[in-house]
Amino acid sequence: MFFHITLERNMQLHPRHFGPHLRDKLVAKLMKDVEGTCSGRHGFVVAITGVEDIGKGLIREGTGFVTFPVKYQAVVFRPFKGEILEAVVTMVNKMGFFAEAGPVQIFVSNHLIPDDMEFQSGDMPNYTTSDGSVKIQKDSEVRLKIIGTRVDATEIFCIGTIKDDFLGVINDPGAAA
Amino acid sequence: MSGEEEENAAELKIGEGERCLISTFSFAKFLKAKCLMNCEVARILDHKYDQLQQTSDDPTNQISQVFEKSMQYVKRFSRYKNPDAVRQVREVLSRYKLAEFELCVLGNLCPETVEEAIAIVPSIKSKGRMLEDEAIEKMLHDLSLIKKFE
Repeated sequence: MFFHITLERNMQLHPRHFGPHLRDKLVAKLMKDVEGTCSGRHGFVVAITGVEDIGKGLIREGTGFVTFPVKYQAVVFRPFKGEILEAVVTMVNKMGFFAEAGPVQIFVSNHLIPDDMEFQSGDMPNYTTSDGSVKIQKDSEVRLKIIGTRVDATEIFCIGTIKDDFLGVINDPGAAA
Repeated sequence: MSGEEEENAAELKIGEGERCLISTFSFAKFLKAKCLMNCEVARILDHKYDQLQQTSDDPTNQISQVFEKSMQYVKRFSRYKNPDAVRQVREVLSRYKLAEFELCVLGNLCPETVEEAIAIVPSIKSKGRMLEDEAIEKMLHDLSLIKKFE
């Protein structure tokens, strides 16, 4: 799920940027530093939408750098356990398949794929039901439930399942063609 | 009020008998935060993308992979393209006393039947909420109308 939240960060700025454009420099540096990063606590920072407040700067002794506390708003993506979302399948193998929902990778093990779906190898590996009506392959869109997240300081990885009611393939690229 | 919200956080997550990995405190922060539906994120990112293209000559070196992937994702899974429809969805759903998180899951997945809605958001049926099946059905009907007249 995407969220719009307020975050804080202490920004260090070199004295050469002090002048009429200090604020612009600070905001540009904030975007460069923060956008695209991932923290376990807040998830992936997708985009900064606004700067709420820049506090008083504090000169660091010895270096001349100044630290500014900056409050900003950002769109973040953070997956939660139990959440149901849609994802695009990126890779299929006999262990299960990987799917992507925005910046996050989700692995669905073959134990968490319905029992009537069998793995078919070949140049387009896929999971297919015995009657061939449902097929999961690369680029399929699936609806899955997140049952576990591994949250590191700089990375989030999820385990998902499609073995539940109303989960599974929502759009099969092969069928549409 | 904040205590109530924390309780809510626990129930929203533990409604399925599963414990959340993150602490209640951290989730409470997210519950208070504004959740965004995919279609809303698509509008925000589009706007931001246009801004970036205007301000720099070569936008590609400024756009992070996370931004690009998110943009592709929300474009692919946006149910409503029209900005008015996006606003209407939020307005309609907010009449039903849903938590932000529930509102956005429903808006993102657009369930068609009451059973489907309860399966994807179990918390709307638990904790003695006033939502009866008829109310849920009416809500889904309202949603499908917005989609139809978009």
